[in-house]
Amino acid sequence: MNVLYALYADPENAQRAIDALHAASSELHFDQRQIVIVSGEPHESYAFANSDTSTRPYGWAVFGGAVGAICGYLLTTLTQKAYPIYTGGMSITPAWTNGIIIYELTMLGAILTTLITLLRGAGLPNFKGVIKDPEIWLGKILVGVANPPESSQLELETCLLQAGASEIKQFSRASH
Amino acid sequence: MSHKWGLVVDLDRCTGCEACVVACRAENNIPTVSQDQAAMGRTMQWIRVERTWEGDFPNPKVRFQPVLCQQCDDAPCESVCPTYASYHTEEGLNGQAYNRCIGTRFCANACPYTVRSFNYYNPSWDRPLNLQLNPDVSVRSVGIMEKCTFCVQRIKSAEIQAEAEKRNLKDGDFTTACAQSCASKALIFGDLHDPSSEVARLASSNRGTKLLGELGTKPNVTYLERGT
Amino acid sequence: MQRTAEQIEQAELRPTSGMNRAAEEIEKDLLRPIFTSSTKYKVAVALSGSLVLAGVAAFAYQLYTGIGVWGLNSPVFWAFDITNFVFWIGISHAGTLISAILRLCHAQWRRPVTRCAEAITVFALIIGGIVPLCHIGRPWLGYWMIPYPSERLIWPNFRSPLMWDCFAIFTYLTGSTTFLYLPTIPDFAAVRDASSGLRKRIYSLLALGWQGTPRQWQRLETAMHIMAIVIVPVAVSVHTIVSWDFSMTLVPMWHTTIFGPYFVVGAIFSGIAALILAMALLRRFLHLEAYLKPIHFDNLGKLLLTFSLLWFYFVFCEFLTTWYGNAPPEMTVLRENISQHFAPLFWIMVFCNFLLPVPLLSRKKLRTITGTAIASCTVVVGMWLERFLIIVPALDRKFLSYSWGSYRPTWVEDTLMASGFGLMALLYLLFSKAVPMISIWEMKVGLQPHGGGIITKVSAIPQPHAIMVLEGPLPTDEPE
Repeated sequence: MNVLYALYADPENAQRAIDALHAASSELHFDQRQIVIVSGEPHESYAFANSDTSTRPYGWAVFGGAVGAICGYLLTTLTQKAYPIYTGGMSITPAWTNGIIIYELTMLGAILTTLITLLRGAGLPNFKGVIKDPEIWLGKILVGVANPPESSQLELETCLLQAGASEIKQFSRASH
Repeated sequence: MSHKWGLVVDLDRCTGCEACVVACRAENNIPTVSQDQAAMGRTMQWIRVERTWEGDFPNPKVRFQPVLCQQCDDAPCESVCPTYASYHTEEGLNGQAYNRCIGTRFCANACPYTVRSFNYYNPSWDRPLNLQLNPDVSVRSVGIMEKCTFCVQRIKSAEIQAEAEKRNLKDGDFTTACAQSCASKALIFGDLHDPSSEVARLASSNRGTKLLGELGTKPNVTYLERGT
Repeated sequence: MQRTAEQIEQAELRPTSGMNRAAEEIEKDLLRPIFTSSTKYKVAVALSGSLVLAGVAAFAYQLYTGIGVWGLNSPVFWAFDITNFVFWIGISHAGTLISAILRLCHAQWRRPVTRCAEAITVFALIIGGIVPLCHIGRPWLGYWMIPYPSERLIWPNFRSPLMWDCFAIFTYLTGSTTFLYLPTIPDFAAVRDASSGLRKRIYSLLALGWQGTPRQWQRLETAMHIMAIVIVPVAVSVHTIVSWDFSMTLVPMWHTTIFGPYFVVGAIFSGIAALILAMALLRRFLHLEAYLKPIHFDNLGKLLLTFSLLWFYFVFCEFLTTWYGNAPPEMTVLRENISQHFAPLFWIMVFCNFLLPVPLLSRKKLRTITGTAIASCTVVVGMWLERFLIIVPALDRKFLSYSWGSYRPTWVEDTLMASGFGLMALLYLLFSKAVPMISIWEMKVGLQPHGGGIITKVSAIPQPHAIMVLEGPLPTDEPE
């Protein structure tokens, strides 16, 4: 993986750079998905940070909760019916008490599902192809293009510099 | 119809001699604790005789009341056990499965009558008392809760005998250790579902009360009130 | 230029030390404890470690000899063990309130506090989960409470409140660990990029290869939002279920419907106190003075005050209704508490939980770091006493007077209790070494002009925004 990028101290400049890259993507022969943006913190007030507004995780959490509820119901009711033992004058499958177990497993299902949707949605774990630049953690935003075509490199550099970057950097990592 | 075991305690006849306590101890391998442990409050008595005084000198009255596991129909101790060690049998007993007990002691807290005993240590009997242990009853180890079982080993033994002899159990075939040892016949044990049994007749007496009956535990031990 | 209230609040919340702290400074300050450790730290670890070892030794002795080495008897079958259990589960409610509820309310002042709080939750839950395993008569069989198909042909009894405890605590532990771990991933990535060698490899694994793309940040924020929504009902249910260990029985003064909400309020109360104490200590020993500022303690002090008043309300309701009803079994227990055997402990508890904190925390002048820390110490003691006084007097004096008893703890129980505190301290110390105690990326978001709060509709070129620092007298419009 080979990334040509610039660092921006101001998110405004970063936004401008990204817009410029979007505009130039077709004429410089690269795909919009090759644009790389990395930051050390989320910048929610800017468009580039709001590209993914999927509400699917919420739906998945509800689904996970439903699965948990069903598991809770099956666990309590089936095991109580399998080896029926009377206690304290209660019925074999009391709804109140089974309901508590079902409630806890519902919540557990929602929690685990949220964890899984995060890991999958964020592409974690991902140990290959991580761009390292210490300046990211000092507040700078990295904007660049991954594997740019040779012919367009100069134009790309101009594009990035125009938006307010001080230098262009390159990150190379042998792909497996 | 299946059996439903019950006990009647006639408070008019109880003299407070505690023969029932001794017999129960011998029959059920109940450990004897040391003086220090008893001072701490760890005596183990499946049946205890509660003695209360009423009135003042020169005419104080003493009342004796044997208290044992009431074998409640709606036992508060059963639902709280996480491992079903305390459960309800088909014959109306509150069963205690020693093997299943992990010692959470929830049942003892839930019991309003405080009739459950916990094995805080591994029991031991000085020689030669270890030879006196009843082979029909398991010896409990540390961390296990125990309580009166209505001498379930005698119940089972009688039922098996009756089945082998191809007959029904009848009243008087067997009884619990406490009832057997009571000199004044204050304790009567039997099958509440057998209309001809003495316990069924006495349990419906108009002298009959239940200990803490207002709690709704539906005990199967009936106390016959004193007339005097 | 006239400053809006929002600007002033933002300025107060921003970490300062005489100049603007940029992201760079935050990075350096908050990563420092991971790479360096002082002698005081090592001494603290040694001390808490030895407390833990003492507890392990005491427990081994108990396993070998029998649970009789405790002070339990008939009728007091639960005492220190369940007191500590309820106490630690109660402490664990700190994280939920601060992290989840404040996050949902978009309260910005929560930023430096969330990770400290969430760490307390996870560790208190771990200790609270260990205590019941140590207190049962046959601990080596504790696994029978796990629902699995066993060859004993039996499953656990789901009607038992102890089983509800198992499920609730397990769910809450899973949820809290997730809630703690997810926002730490970017910080693990920061440590990864700042370290080398074995440390780098470990943190790479922990960071799961986090990059920091907008998609990842969005997904992380969404996940945190869902977790915040889900964890609040879980936390409420956990302590309610723990309270049902008592109220599901018929014991006088246990069998009361107030226990559910009463315990939840008490839990959050003790949790906030524990959090204030932890923060005061961290601030002092990790030199986080620029991040954990007086305003944080002021706000937490206000929360502590609110919960002190709520706690008193619940206690008053419970005791008044019992006293007015005048039922003999309950009155016996009530008198035990208020005027007989347990009266000294009871009134110390009222002093610690209400009489001292309320006047101390009502005055802004006294709501300083020291003031709130003192109030928190007394609250922690008072809440432990409260749990003890719920359990033992009621068991002491059940229905039949012939079976009344008394209780005195032994050295084994004292040691185990002390080692619980030691384990908490040890886990917390080790955590502060391995993980930045203040969420770096959340602090940086707090520095942003819009405070990183509500996501606004974006304009490509946002308005310039001056960042000001509260230093010296406020500028006014009036001419000099």
